[in-house]
Order: sequence, then structure tokens, then C-alpha cells
Amino acid sequence: MTDTVDQSVQDGRRRFVRADGPDKVTGSGRYTADLQLAGMLHAKFLYAGTARGRIRRLDVEPARRVPGVLAVLTDADVPDVRYSPGVADRRLFARGTVRFEGEIVAAVAATTPEAASAAISAIELELEPLPPITDPEAALSEDSPLVHPDWADYDADEGVVRSGNTASFSSLSRGDAASAMAKAETVLSSRYVADGCHAVPIEPRAIVAQWEGEKLTVWTSTQVPFDARAGICETLGLPTNRVRVVVPHLGGGFGGKCGFHFEAHIAALARAAKRPVKLVFTRAEEFLAPDRRREGMTIELTSGLDGDGRIVARQGRLVLDGGAYLADKAFFPQLAAMQATGPYQIPNLEVEAHLVYTNHQPAGSVRAPTAPQGCWAVESHTDELAAAIGMDPVRFRQVNGLDTGTTGPTGQVYDAIGLQDCIDTATSMLDPTSETADDEAYGVAVGWWPSFSSPSGAYVKIDDDGKGQIITGAQECGTGAVMTLRQLAADEVGLQPEDFELVYQDTSAAPFDMGATGSQTLFNNGRAVVAAASQLADQLKELAANRLEASASDIVLADGHASVTGTPSVTVPITELAGEAAGGALLLGHGSSPELAYPTGTATCVGDQGMSAWLSPQFSCHVVKVRLDRDTGVARVTNVAAAHDSGRILNHTGALGQVHGGIMMGIGQALTEGTVYDDQGKQRNAMLLEYKLQTAADGPAINVEFIESYPGEGPAGAKGLAEAPNVATAAAVSNALAKLAGRPIRQMPMTAERVWNELKPSPSNNDTSITEEGR
Amino acid sequence: MPTEPFQIAGSIEDALSAMATGARPVAGGTDLVVGARQGKSPLPSNLVAVDRIVELSTIEQNAEGVIVGAGVTHATLMTDPLITSGYTALADAAALVGSPATRNVGTLGGNVMNGSPAMDTGAPLIVLGAMIDLRSQGGSRRVAPSKLWTGPGSTSASDDELCVAVALPKRSERSGSAYVRLEYRRAMEIAVVGAAASVELNDEGVIEQVAIALTAVAPTIVALEGLTDLVGRRVDEDVLAAVAAIASSQAQPISDLRAGADYRAHTVGVMARRAVDAAARRAAGETIEVPVNRAEGVGRTDRP
Ligand SMILES: Cc1cc2nc3c(=O)[nH]c(=O)nc-3n(C[C@H](O)[C@H](O)[C@H](O)COP(=O)(O)OP(=O)(O)OC[C@H]3O[C@@H](n4cnc5c(N)ncnc54)[C@H](O)[C@@H]3O)c2cc1C
Repeated sequence: MTDTVDQSVQDGRRRFVRADGPDKVTGSGRYTADLQLAGMLHAKFLYAGTARGRIRRLDVEPARRVPGVLAVLTDADVPDVRYSPGVADRRLFARGTVRFEGEIVAAVAATTPEAASAAISAIELELEPLPPITDPEAALSEDSPLVHPDWADYDADEGVVRSGNTASFSSLSRGDAASAMAKAETVLSSRYVADGCHAVPIEPRAIVAQWEGEKLTVWTSTQVPFDARAGICETLGLPTNRVRVVVPHLGGGFGGKCGFHFEAHIAALARAAKRPVKLVFTRAEEFLAPDRRREGMTIELTSGLDGDGRIVARQGRLVLDGGAYLADKAFFPQLAAMQATGPYQIPNLEVEAHLVYTNHQPAGSVRAPTAPQGCWAVESHTDELAAAIGMDPVRFRQVNGLDTGTTGPTGQVYDAIGLQDCIDTATSMLDPTSETADDEAYGVAVGWWPSFSSPSGAYVKIDDDGKGQIITGAQECGTGAVMTLRQLAADEVGLQPEDFELVYQDTSAAPFDMGATGSQTLFNNGRAVVAAASQLADQLKELAANRLEASASDIVLADGHASVTGTPSVTVPITELAGEAAGGALLLGHGSSPELAYPTGTATCVGDQGMSAWLSPQFSCHVVKVRLDRDTGVARVTNVAAAHDSGRILNHTGALGQVHGGIMMGIGQALTEGTVYDDQGKQRNAMLLEYKLQTAADGPAINVEFIESYPGEGPAGAKGLAEAPNVATAAAVSNALAKLAGRPIRQMPMTAERVWNELKPSPSNNDTSITEEGR
Repeated sequence: MPTEPFQIAGSIEDALSAMATGARPVAGGTDLVVGARQGKSPLPSNLVAVDRIVELSTIEQNAEGVIVGAGVTHATLMTDPLITSGYTALADAAALVGSPATRNVGTLGGNVMNGSPAMDTGAPLIVLGAMIDLRSQGGSRRVAPSKLWTGPGSTSASDDELCVAVALPKRSERSGSAYVRLEYRRAMEIAVVGAAASVELNDEGVIEQVAIALTAVAPTIVALEGLTDLVGRRVDEDVLAAVAAIASSQAQPISDLRAGADYRAHTVGVMARRAVDAAARRAAGETIEVPVNRAEGVGRTDRP
């Protein structure tokens, strides 16, 4: 690029108003629940309401007789399909058995929501309750009853290691952990338990389905429209090109709206009723029904240190509460094992992770799946290790943490990474060794998270007036990733982000994208948009070369003009070139993201899910200051400093928003957010009053720095970003609380009452065992 | 579907005549409507809106004290000078209710008549010696809050009785009051436990009168008994420890989602001691911003 390019754009610091911002702020934007179609009906589901049971009798005839009811569906009314990625363990409607309280037994469409509710109440369902399987550890034992007695008959991907209630097993193994442990100077074991929690998007899920002849359109609040389309096609037996999935503005997802859930139910109702049908979830349904909940996890870690405080071995055992169905999480055990290992140089590693079926709501991708819990455990354990040998915890991380050129725990060698810069930067923004009042303490934690390569496509066009459109398969879930595409396209052709409009979230308009999941949108779709826009740039340069009687390779596109290198006065506005193109070869580009080569490690992995070596790994360090009311156990995070290596930052405003949000979510997970179950495996706090999200009033002072010197393989050196900020906060809070309480709080969320229980003098509270041989 | 009557009362008389024919009053609707949507109990089919009745939304001083209209919102209570100066515990409580949106529409009358054991204005009203004015077409009566609240969500008022006002008796110069609650977050919260205190000091700074009431540790808001031993003493560490012990021992908390009984019994003592401490300091002339929770912290975690 030349010096005529606005530098503030080049360094990514240019602030532009996101395209969906005014709509969302003024209320002019339309969400799925806002849609009204002529003749539209309202859907309601009948849920099992019982965590485990056998269906003895199901009679929907009384529902059909309720005035206004036009369709009632059960398992008997839809194609006989078992589906789901990884392991096909799922059906649209319960057949014979119910496996969690939110399992759908029947669906109704009626002229009003009230009539639909009345019809649901009229359905006669007799369930024989069975003792629910709720303890994942017990579910692993040989004599446990099975959540899926027929698991062995299910179609499954070959790589998924399964057995009985083990839905997916993975291990990471490198070197010889047992003998290294035996030789270690200091050995320390800890056990941590994280409760499950929820994504809690503020927009409850909504779906509208409409048939026109054999063609189906579904408007849905999903993060993954192409996945939703695939699910509809698979379960209803439809070809891809007859199903169009459109997402109006999405009111947040946080992973909770990943995956295919309810679109097929509504489409099937609409077909049966011969009318459009709309579903809008209540808040309780949003808590209970989706198979995307953050998994509960038990993490046992043992580490051995040598005399210099270097980690020589780590052993771990993880048990993940997977709930009733596998959903999208076959890879979770391996990812959890990576998280509970942490970004450290560990030559000898042995971690095994069991993802277990239970009769809880299925877990699935919630922002940085497995990471807040795994990081919380390993970073709390790390502070315990440092304390055991009397080393400063930051120093311990500097000594043992990954750095450029080092080898990671699974044998991946890191070229150029910013973990150590993150530690240095965050601890200088908020110095954890500075003085505090006696009810305050600092906590430090480091985190890591991968970037993912995935196929993704986009078209870019410029119309006759020089204004452009990006037609992309990418989905905006609020992160601003799609919004930033405008900047990438603009930079490529010398226009401004505001010169581009977006057509997105429509599977029939745009090429494939994986969706707003895995922090992949900008990383992959950004490359597709750059590829598409660069075709336009080439076309513009050809047109300009003719006009200006120069060689196309000498044309630069900047500031809305095509000019000859070195002779800026020889120039033509891009609008003119666009006008010319409109009369001939149109300005049309298309691109897809080339598959990136994944790095490899040297670890041996049973149940390998491709998670043991990471592409464009991201690193972070969070320092928090926590104040504890020792009389009540109520803790408050007052300050956070966060340093992130997520590669080049393309949209600084958007990136800051991601980090702020990730930190708030992390504080919630640390202190107040957790699912509470009754003894029958049913959720007790499926409501916003009792499931305590952090509010704006709880927000601490947050300072963020991005370490941008280690480019990733995304567009212009970007890595992923949206999930990484949700990794380390809870861990940092834990380490601050441990200092204040005198011992770690071993269950998350570290609620006021749990902290208070630890503060009560009782010797039995500590289940860390330390052996210090030879000391 | 049959259409149900929904009336908007322009005067107390309008409201009373609607209620005489079975209409249920709705003020801010933050309990009634939200509760219905949560499925607690269906929305009553016959409603009369009382939020536009001007006579219900005044705060007036007279020789006996201050009369607060039942329709006064929490947003007004937390800022009105008569309330923040003389009846500070009530302002402390109002300032904690929900969020700005909840406080802008939620009313004192709604809070009182909803009768929740976790209501925040209840403990302040008890320690301030408030009386509740009820009116129906049959006449008016004045009841003590302890006689009004009969159990969780139930009151001794009959269905046709409108709460028109809350009467707050005149306070002495050297009195102070405060309300403190245990909360896990700083907005959209419900009291885990809470305590209000009213303290009157003599010229020497010795307690002349003290009243304490507790939130969310019994089926209704409860006033503490056995405080007479505290009279004649200075508010020192011993007195505060005694307050905490009395509060913890008289609480009959339940274990629920929000907290276990042990934890509630302990923390209500902590809240009571903090309330007495803040009330005594206010009585002695110190300014502690409303609400105490923010000035002094959700348990001291908020110091600037
Ligand atoms: C998000 C949220 C947060 C909240 N936080 C708190 C909190 O922190 N602390 C707290 O104490 N409460 C809280 N509440 C509950 C509620 O806001 C308060 O109790 C409020 O004061 C109720 O007043 P209202 O005018 O909205 O009552 P409404 O809902 O209109 O009425 C409540 C009940 O009182 C009756 N009623 C209303 N006015 C009269 C009258 N004049 N005479 C006779 N009967 C009457 C109604 O029929 C109904 O039964 C919260 C509610 C919400 C939705």
C-alpha cells in the first residue's frame, strides 16, 4: 500500500460505526420474534419434565380437539431419523424414553399462543419415572444404568471413543509422566469441581417457518444457519436447495444458539398445518431446552516440580458432565485436557478426559467450551504449586510458561507467540505485588485458546455508483466479526468501510460458512472476503490501466481513486471505473478461505479429535483485584488488567468489546453463575432472578492491551478473538480469593456462601496433598 | 376470547368502586405482571390501574410526621429530602430495589401489599414505626405492618381495600436509621437477608431507643425482641456483637436456592450490626450516603 492510505485504517485503529449498530440501538432492527406472516400460527412444545423415564402412554387426541389447534406432532409424525454430529444419538421427539427434563415429547401449532398452551396441557402423557443418572463419576462405573442402553447401535464417527455412558474419551500423553513424577522434588495434587452454567443470550430463541409449495424458508435465531439447514434437511429428508435459512438480527448467542435444535420441529408443524408457524421461547425454555450448556467438570491434577521449580510432569483426570446427548461436543474431552494442562512447558504429560452421558440437559459449545473451567483448575493448581515451593506465582509462570521457540506440553513447537509479553504487560498494568488493604488481593492467570480453519465463502460486488456489497455466508452473533468484513473489503479496493453494505445470514444468498462459532468468522470469512475483493481490485486495476495508459501492476487503489504509482496526479475516481464496468464486465468477486495447514505435536492421543496442536494459538494474561467481605463471603472484582495475543487486531473498538464481555462473563462464572439441580436432576434456577448474571453495576474497571507483534494466519495477521477473553478471568479471581480465604475455593462458582464456608475454621477443608520429597 | 375489564382509575373513589366489584389494583405491575409471566399466579382478569391517581403519589409533612402516598415510586423515595433526611432506612431500601426501571415504576404501596418476606421496605417501615392506611368503600382503617403481613405473600387486608398511604411518625433530632441487605450482585437482586435499624441517642451519645427488623429470615418481616438491654449503652463493639447475636438467634431462616439456613442466620446478624452501626452514626450527625450498601459496601466491599 502507499502513503496515501489513511494510516489510522492501516493500523486497525480506525473507528467506524458498525453496520448493525444504529438498527440495534434505535430499535429499528428486526429480530426473529418481530416477524409476522399472514395466517401465522404459534408453536408450543410439551417437554418431558422428568429427567429420566419411560413413556407409558402418550395421547395427543385431546390436544387436537382444542379450538384453534391446527397441528400436533410427536415422534410418530416425523421421519424415522436419528441424527447429530459425531454420534447419531438424537431424535426430534422422544421415542419411548426421556433422557432429560427438556426433552421434547410433542409439539403443537395453534392460532394463538394461549390455544397452543391449552393444547399442550390437554396432552395425556404418562411417564414412568426412573432414577436419574446425575453423577458423572457414578455413571462411569461398570454397574451404572445406561443413559443410552443402545449406544453401541448408533452411527458414529470412527474417531469417537465410546463405551456405555462414556460418550467420548480422549487422552494426551507425552514422555513418561509416571516415572518423571516419581523422581520429582515436589509433587502436589488438587481436585476442582466446576458446576455447569449457561450461555444466557438476552434474546430467547425464536423460529418462524413457512412453506411455499415444496420450498421451505426458516427464519431463526441461530448462530449457525448452514448447520441449521443441514439439520432440517437431514431430519425432514429435504434437499439443500429447497431449504432457505435466514437469520434476522441475532440477539446474542454465546454458543447457546450453536447447533441445530428446533428448526425442524417448527418446519414440520408448518407443513402439517399448511400455515406459517412461529416459536418464541420463554426465558425458562431458553434455560432448559437447548443442548448448549456449559458442562460441569471435575478436574484432578497432579504435578511434579524439579528443584528449580520447573514442571517435570503432569497427570490429570477429567470428568465432564455431558448430559443426555452428545450434541457437538465429541471434541470436548481433548480440548478440556488441553485447557487443564495449560500453556506450559511440560515434558511428561498424561491426561485423560471422560465425557459422560447423564440425565442432565445436554452440554455443548458455550463460548470457549471447557476453557474457563479447565483454566480455573490448572491456574489455581499453578498458584498452589508456586506456593508449595515459595516461588512468586508470576515468576513461576514466566519460568514454566510457553515462549517463542519452546515446546508445549503436547510437543507442538511455537514459532512466535506472545504469552510472556502478555504476562509482562498485564502485570505492569496492574502490579500484583503492590500493596493492598487486608481485605483485598490480586490474582493472576494465563490462558490459551486455538484458532480454527474452516471452509468459508463470500461474494463482493461493486455497483455502478461505486458502492459495494459483501454477500457473505458469515453469521453475526454480536461480536462484530461480520461488521469488520467491510473494513477488509474496503482496504483491498481503496474504498471506505462505509462504502460497503452487508448481505448476510441467508443460506440461499451466500456461500457456506460454519457460523458464529469457534471464533472463526473473521479468521476464515475474512480471508474469503479478501480473496473476493482482491478480484475486484484486479478488475479495477485493469480498467484504470486502460484509462490512465499505464500498466495494471502500477495502479494503486486508495482513498476512492485508482492512481499510477509515483504519479498520484494521474488518477481516476473508482466511481467512474464502476460506472464503466456497469456497462460491460461487471465488478464481481468471489472468494473462499483456503484450508490452512494444522501444526502437529508429538503427543499420543487416544480418541484424537484434532485438538492437541493448535493453529494460530492465542494467549492471554489476566490480573484481577478482588475485595472480600470476610463476614459474608461476598467478593467483588474491582479491577482487571487483560493482555491478549490474538494476533493483529483489525477492529480495535470491536476487539475491546469482546474482551470486556469475556471478562464480565468470566466474573459471573467465577462468582455467581451456576446451575443448581434438585435431587431428581431438574434445574432449580432456570430463571434470571436466581441464575445470577453479572450486571453493568457489577463491572470492574477494565484495562486491555493487545500484543500485536505475533501475527496469526488469519486475514492481515489476525487470529481468532471472541472466545479467548473468556478463558482466564475466573482463574485469576480464584487465585485472588485463595489468598484472601487462605486456601483455594475448590468449587465454581465460588459463591459467597461457598467462600464463607471455607472461611469458617475447619481443618477438613483442604484436599490438596503435598509431598515434598528430599526437602 | 372474552375481553376482560381493565380500568384506569383517576381517583381513589374510582379505584374503590372498581375494587368493590372485584377488580384487583395494579400500580407499577412489577410484582403482579412479572409474577404472572413467571407463572406464579395467573394475571387477574379484572384489573384497575391505580398508578395515575395523583392523590396517591404525594409525600406530605404534618404535625404527626410524614404521610407517603401508596403510589410513590422507589425512585422518589430514595431521593425525596423528607425521606432521605428523616427516614433514611426507607430511602436505603428503595434505592436497592431492582434496577432504575423497576424503581421508576415500582411503588411503596405495591411493595407493602405484595407482602413478600424479602420485601426491602418492610424492615425499615417496622423500625420507623410506620402505620398503613387502608381504605375501602366501607371506610378507612390504619394497621401496623406487623398486623398487615400474615405470611409469605399474604396480608390481612380484604380484597376491596386499597392501600392509600403509609404514615411515618415524627422522629427526634438525634435519631438515625439505616437498612442494609446482603446481595450477591449490585442490581436486579433480591434480598438474601436484610436488616433495618432505628437508633435514638441522648445528648451523651447513649442509646435511648433502638429498633431492629429483619428481612427474609421468617415468613414475614420480623421485629427483634429483647433489645431493652441495649438501652443506656453506647454503640460500641460489645453492643454491635450483641445485636448480631440477637438477630442471628431470633432469625428462623429457611434453606433455599439463595442461601442455606446457617448462612442466613449468620449473615442476618452481620446485616443487623451494620444497620445499627450506620443508624447510630447517622443519629450522631454523620452523613452516610443512601444506600448504605453502596456507601459502605455490599459488606464493606465498596469502599472508594
Ligand atoms: C426486576 C425486579 C427487581 C425487583 N427488585 C426488588 C427489590 O430489590 N426489593 C423489593 O422489595 N422488591 C423488588 N421487586 C418487586 C417489586 O418491584 C416491588 O415489590 C415493588 O415495590 C412493587 O410495586 P408495584 O407498584 O410494581 O406493585 P404491583 O405489581 O402493581 O402490585 C403488587 C401487589 O400489590 C397490590 N397493590 C398494588 N398497589 C396497591 C394498593 N395501592 N393497594 C392495595 N394493593 C395494591 C397488587 O394488587 C399486587 O397484588 C423487584 C421486581 C422486579 C421485576
